[in-house]
Amino acid sequence: MRISDRRFALYLMAPAALFLAVFVAYPLFRLVADSLFKISPTAGGPRDFVGLDNYVRAFASEAFMGAGWRTLAYTFVVVALEFALGLGMALLFTALGRKSEVWRTVFLYPLMIAPIVAGLLWKFLMIDNFGLIGTLLHQAGILQNPNQIGWLSDPGIVLFSVAVPDIWLTTSFMCLVLFAGLQNIPGDLIEAARLDGAKAPTLLFSIILPLLRPVIAVALVVRGIDAARAFDTILIQTNGGPQSASETMSLLIYRTMIRFGDPGLASAMGTIYLLAMLGVAFFAVATIWRPGKDN
Amino acid sequence: MSSRTTISRITAIGGLSTAVLLAATACGAGGPAATSGSAASTVNVLVEAGGHAELTGVAEQCKKDTGVNVNFVELPYEGMFNRLSSEFSSGNVSFDVAALDSVWLPSFKDAVQPIDELFTDEVKKDIFPALVKEANVDGHFIGMPAWTNAEIILYRKDLFDDAKNKADFKAKYGYDLAAPTTWKQYQDISEFFTKDGMYGTDVKGGVETEWLAHVLQAGSPMVLDENNNVVIDNAAHKDALDFYTSLVKSAPPGAAQVDWAAAQNLFNQGKTAMTRFWAHAYRQIPKDSPVAGKVGAAPMIGGSAGVAGVPGPWYLSVPKATKNSDAAKKFVKCAYDHNDLGIESSLGLASRISAFEKYQDKAGYESFKPLIETLKGQATATRPATAKWQQIVDTALVPMLQKAVAGGDSATLLAAAKKQIQDLLK
Repeated sequence: MRISDRRFALYLMAPAALFLAVFVAYPLFRLVADSLFKISPTAGGPRDFVGLDNYVRAFASEAFMGAGWRTLAYTFVVVALEFALGLGMALLFTALGRKSEVWRTVFLYPLMIAPIVAGLLWKFLMIDNFGLIGTLLHQAGILQNPNQIGWLSDPGIVLFSVAVPDIWLTTSFMCLVLFAGLQNIPGDLIEAARLDGAKAPTLLFSIILPLLRPVIAVALVVRGIDAARAFDTILIQTNGGPQSASETMSLLIYRTMIRFGDPGLASAMGTIYLLAMLGVAFFAVATIWRPGKDN
Repeated sequence: MSSRTTISRITAIGGLSTAVLLAATACGAGGPAATSGSAASTVNVLVEAGGHAELTGVAEQCKKDTGVNVNFVELPYEGMFNRLSSEFSSGNVSFDVAALDSVWLPSFKDAVQPIDELFTDEVKKDIFPALVKEANVDGHFIGMPAWTNAEIILYRKDLFDDAKNKADFKAKYGYDLAAPTTWKQYQDISEFFTKDGMYGTDVKGGVETEWLAHVLQAGSPMVLDENNNVVIDNAAHKDALDFYTSLVKSAPPGAAQVDWAAAQNLFNQGKTAMTRFWAHAYRQIPKDSPVAGKVGAAPMIGGSAGVAGVPGPWYLSVPKATKNSDAAKKFVKCAYDHNDLGIESSLGLASRISAFEKYQDKAGYESFKPLIETLKGQATATRPATAKWQQIVDTALVPMLQKAVAGGDSATLLAAAKKQIQDLLK
């Protein structure tokens, strides 16, 4: 029996397609479907169709809008700092050439630490009354007393404090991706630019960054989406507090679903969040990456 | 048969078996482990860490008495509610008995079985009245109190007995330094000990129960009255909040994020001279702590309505979804019968009045008399029975307290919280 190439390809794809259908498409469908119902948190309880009511409730809720803005701010801070630090390190490693091998491995170390562990570690560094950072800054004469800054208890700065472990953990990822991209920039192009008298800033902004654009786009989109889902490090450090000042969208959805027993509203929030993420990803790909446009 | 056909067949078979395998593992994951008929005499009991210690002795006794084996599934407190909630919502539970914190009873009332037959008149007489009332949700008893707790005052005996402290205190405040019996004294003593890197007391902005105890002492029901009207903006709530925040100046910084764990740590590390804390902490002071052996216990202080605390009982409940109800109920009864066995565990609590009274005069159990007195207090009451309670606490009460300890205006904050709670209850 002979089969066509087309059918052979279908057979090869079938397991993956089935997997995606069961574990991605079906849950997604359920998510959207659940968002249209008011659901009892106990199995077997009532399930009433309420149309778009959950969406209206989500947008009318201060907690949801607050969490949306906080997630945006958190993502922006985390990704911007990681990008700046990561690019700096990647350029440094490229400039060092082979001598950077050991340092590259050392720099990757935080990437291998579990987020929960990193969250706990930083919690004990920043916690009030016992935190090491406050004590060290006090001993160095920068702070008047070790508790002058309430890293995790001052609602004005807590969002930045909980971002620190995330930045510490994943700057190396950004660096790794950008470093790989830098390896693909032809050396003769840089050399030609140098011969034409280009200085370092011109080299960076007019040659290296434009050539790195697709890599930057991938790095920003992947890390951006990842950062917007921030959950574990924040949960362990502050559980969203104080005054919900570090409650991001994932934490809010989790609490709405599990703690407050409102699966319908949580599904609506999840759906809105998913659509927003898709929108951001499309926008980033279309504006930064622009696949095919430059040719 | 050509090699291409063979390849295509192998691919197809491979694909199919992968799919079957995936489907099979998906069904199997997370399902109940030992609730099948073959293990009917084994019950899985879901508990938090303290509860595990508390029930271990009971489990051994039950095995001797009734032949029921107990398998404990232990979770940290933070994970318990979430685990229970997700298992109840899936309709598929991995446990036959769960130890439930009292605040969760109204949320899970539809998922657990009535156990009215266990609540005989004799049983009701031996359990603190507030607990008998709380265990009854919508006309049925749905949980048997396994152990209960209340906040009492823990203080540093060594500092209170120090001659120089006594003299200095008397000179400054005009009366003798002793365990406080009025809130004015508590304020004075807190202020007195706040010096040289030490603080008089703690202020917990991350939890609501302590403030609610002050509300009860001031003579008002907590947050909701008996008709579910929101009364959080009445004078009692405001007075309680003003008193609560008045202690901030005598407490370690970062009050907004201080919760039970942080407060216990501060006291055990010798940073605070007094704490209002759950009675079990008295017996849990580590031997290597700088305060070990130097701590005294006193009853919770009364306000205009008398002594009041918010009891923190845990109830043993049997989920409707278990296939092992009979053995589960046997264990619950057995846990009541041998309730005093929990007292010698590391948590060291019980729920029966007779069990506490048996130990109250023994050395090492000095916290029991204050605990019994607090639990029997006239104004002692359990938290409002509403399924929305957890949400009210997380989204209204705790953020409100955190703003208050940071210096917010109490009347404005309470009015805002009232509106928020009314919206939640709609």
